[in-house]
Amino acid sequence: MKWIPNFNSSNSLRVIFVIAVFILLFLSSIAYKHNQDLNESSKLVMHTYEINIQLERLMSAIKDAETGQRGYIITRNARFLTPYIYSRDKVNTSFITLKKLTADNPQQQENLQKLFKLITLRFVSFENCLKYSDPKTYDKRKLDNHMFGGRILMENIRFKVDEMNDIEKTYLKKRLKIYDAEISLSPLFSISLFLVALSFILLAYRQISRDFERLKVFNKRLLISSGLIAESESIGNFSTWQWDLDADKIDYSDNQFRLLGFEPNAFVPSKETLLKFVHPDDKDAVAKSIDGIIENKQVPFIYYKIIRPDFEVRYFKTTGKLVTDQQGSKILLGINFDITDEHLLNIELQERNKELEKSNKELASFNHVASHDLQEPLRKIQTFISRVSDADKEVMSESGKNYITKIESSAKRMRVLIDDLLLFSRTNTTKKEFIKINLNELLDNAESELAEVIEEKRAVIKSNKLPKLSVIPYQIEQLFINLIGNSLKYSRPDIEPEISISSEKVNACDYPEIVDQSVKKFHKITFTDNGMGFDPQFKETIFILFQRLHSKTDYPGTGIGLAICKKIVENHKGHITADSTLGKGSVFTVFLPD
Amino acid sequence: MQKNALHILLADDDEDDRLFFKDAFEEIKIQTNVNFVHDGMQLMDHLHNEDNKLPDILFLDLNMPKKTGKECLIEIKKTDRLKDVIIAIYSTSSSEEDIEDTFIQGANIYIKKPSDFNTLKKIINEVVTVNWHYHTSGLNRDNFLLRLK
Amino acid sequence: MKLFIKFDINTICSQYLKLNLEQNNVNFTTLGFGEIEIEDNIDAEALENLKTKLAPCGFEVVENQKSVLVQKIKDAIIELVFMDDSNNYKSSVFLAEKLNHSYGYLSNVFSEVTYSSIENFIILQKIERAKQLIIINEMSLTEIAFLLNYSSVAHLSTQFKNTTGITPSAFQRIIKKRRENLK
Repeated sequence: MKWIPNFNSSNSLRVIFVIAVFILLFLSSIAYKHNQDLNESSKLVMHTYEINIQLERLMSAIKDAETGQRGYIITRNARFLTPYIYSRDKVNTSFITLKKLTADNPQQQENLQKLFKLITLRFVSFENCLKYSDPKTYDKRKLDNHMFGGRILMENIRFKVDEMNDIEKTYLKKRLKIYDAEISLSPLFSISLFLVALSFILLAYRQISRDFERLKVFNKRLLISSGLIAESESIGNFSTWQWDLDADKIDYSDNQFRLLGFEPNAFVPSKETLLKFVHPDDKDAVAKSIDGIIENKQVPFIYYKIIRPDFEVRYFKTTGKLVTDQQGSKILLGINFDITDEHLLNIELQERNKELEKSNKELASFNHVASHDLQEPLRKIQTFISRVSDADKEVMSESGKNYITKIESSAKRMRVLIDDLLLFSRTNTTKKEFIKINLNELLDNAESELAEVIEEKRAVIKSNKLPKLSVIPYQIEQLFINLIGNSLKYSRPDIEPEISISSEKVNACDYPEIVDQSVKKFHKITFTDNGMGFDPQFKETIFILFQRLHSKTDYPGTGIGLAICKKIVENHKGHITADSTLGKGSVFTVFLPD
Repeated sequence: MQKNALHILLADDDEDDRLFFKDAFEEIKIQTNVNFVHDGMQLMDHLHNEDNKLPDILFLDLNMPKKTGKECLIEIKKTDRLKDVIIAIYSTSSSEEDIEDTFIQGANIYIKKPSDFNTLKKIINEVVTVNWHYHTSGLNRDNFLLRLK
Repeated sequence: MKLFIKFDINTICSQYLKLNLEQNNVNFTTLGFGEIEIEDNIDAEALENLKTKLAPCGFEVVENQKSVLVQKIKDAIIELVFMDDSNNYKSSVFLAEKLNHSYGYLSNVFSEVTYSSIENFIILQKIERAKQLIIINEMSLTEIAFLLNYSSVAHLSTQFKNTTGITPSAFQRIIKKRRENLK
């Protein structure tokens, strides 16, 4: 079914959507990972700074201790010793913190251990300095040595702290570099992915809107065509019904109700209603063919009568076909035609045909009567007259002899009339057997038929090549005989008759006088003579039966010859025309279909 | 011309025609022996009776009561003993259909009954002469078709 | 199976006659078509006996002298018409030379015996030949007209029609249908 639009694009839409969703999921996972990474790096930085701070604190505690000690040594004021006493605690606190912070790094642990040893040594040196500076135990040389040793230890501590700070810094730098590399790659990638997803969604949107437009258009068309179908059903006097065999549900078109003589949807159709309105005469046949549909999948036309509620009888023609729809359910599709008008017309035509056949038979029997029964007595009259011998005539009176002659000529005329009439009716009634034959052959036959007259009148007949056509041979021969005979009969007495016959192939459209234009090509055969001709105003009437342009005494004839010609040409679905100039000659033109 | 008289049989229901026929044969120079039957049934009885001499020429009217000339013609041509008889159709009809049909059924001669006694004599004379030629001059009788008007 | 047989009537007749005469113990010599010379002297009774024996076979002894001559004329005409080079002869000259009589005499005898003229008989034979050529050889009218020395096809057609009353094509059609009818 061609008119159902193809909406397969929804499948591709689905694919586009799935892809877009996957892209988005991917994008969000990447974003999450980046977040994690950033967190990690900031923690690292914090960690490094903490270590740095703790180390600085450590340093400042030692420096405090140093400053306090110096102050005490110089002033001997015990107040200066307070920072020194506290510094030991501070160092320990910082140290524990540092130990915790560097737990994941064995190198720093090792450094820390070394640093701790150095600090312990420094504090030992502080103790010794204090001891040797005390006036009680004062020893200048030992004090100098320990002060100097303390100086070197301080240098070493500072160096170690710096080393630890450096390690921490390079470590941080390295980590930050890795994160930087990871983070710097992602924005371009995510943006392009995002753009792809966006374009997919846009594509899908476009497809959806387009399908929607198409759906609208087809919907409109569907509406129009279903309206048109309903309209054409009522114009064309036909209707449709569908019988869903699986659901056992029958739908009638509106017009189906109307054809049955109801308003649309006046009742719910069922299997029973299919037969309900059928005329009792036809019920069996219709029921049988409905059953047959299911077996044969389709029915030939069935013809039957129905009775409307108002008892009007209508003639129906129905056909049906079993179709399977896309869902696989079997539907019986039926079409009903109300052919009452045609049927009645047909009956009338049949009656007329019968009448025609009857009158044709009558004509044939008239033909027989004319050919046999009417001829018999006439022939007897003529033969008996011919048997009145010259010896018999001798003893007759003059008037008696005269009467005999009159009877003879009248009988002769009647003979000609009957013969011609017979010939005319035979051109109608005898079987029309078309045979392909060379018309030249028929012309030769016609000429040999007329040989006596041709010789007597010293006529010259010229003809060019005639075509080979499918004709009723003896009728065309008769046509030639009549036309040539006509020319010979109405020749001018002072001049030897000359008849020229020519033929050419012509197009029907070039000759408006040919009424039947369904045949395109004709053979135009012209008979031109140099006879006495006739007044052109009679060029139509001369073909009419019994029409004569001359008196019987001048030119004996029956007025049938040219009517026969016309009949013969009509039998061949052709056309005949005549034209003439009085005193110059006539032209008869025969058109025979190719 | 012939030692024995020519044997002629005419089947025609019309009394006048039989009369004309008899007179015509009497007036021609050829010695003949003319017999008549009045209808188709009588004709077939006559022909089937083996005591009767077969005619040299059978003149057959087409329009006869009881059995038409055409029926007789077909029957004769189907009968081995009779099928070689020369048959001349002698009829009022001049319909081409009748003529061709009877020739096809095996008639040798078709004569349209003339309306003049002299023509009748002429025709009969010609039939007898041509027939004689066919019998004596080695002509093929299968090709013997003659139409006279 | 259907076969078309072409008869040579002359040969058939001669052979058949010979056979019959031999069966009847007659010594003879053939002088020409339709003419024999019996060598023994036979009496009237024996001759009559021979006649009755030959009659059922379709042979008839021609007695009259004029009839004999007519038969000779006919034979000569048939010979002439069926000769392939008949165009070279004028019939009257041919007959006069062949039969040693003046054409006038022959013509008179022929008409007296047959009630028809030599010319008519020649035409009859020529048309007979034309029929054979149409039916057996399926020759065209043009070929036949040439072979039988007609000035034109029209002339042949006219003579055919005048002799038989039907046209050559009607003749052909009838014979064809008659054969189909027999099948």
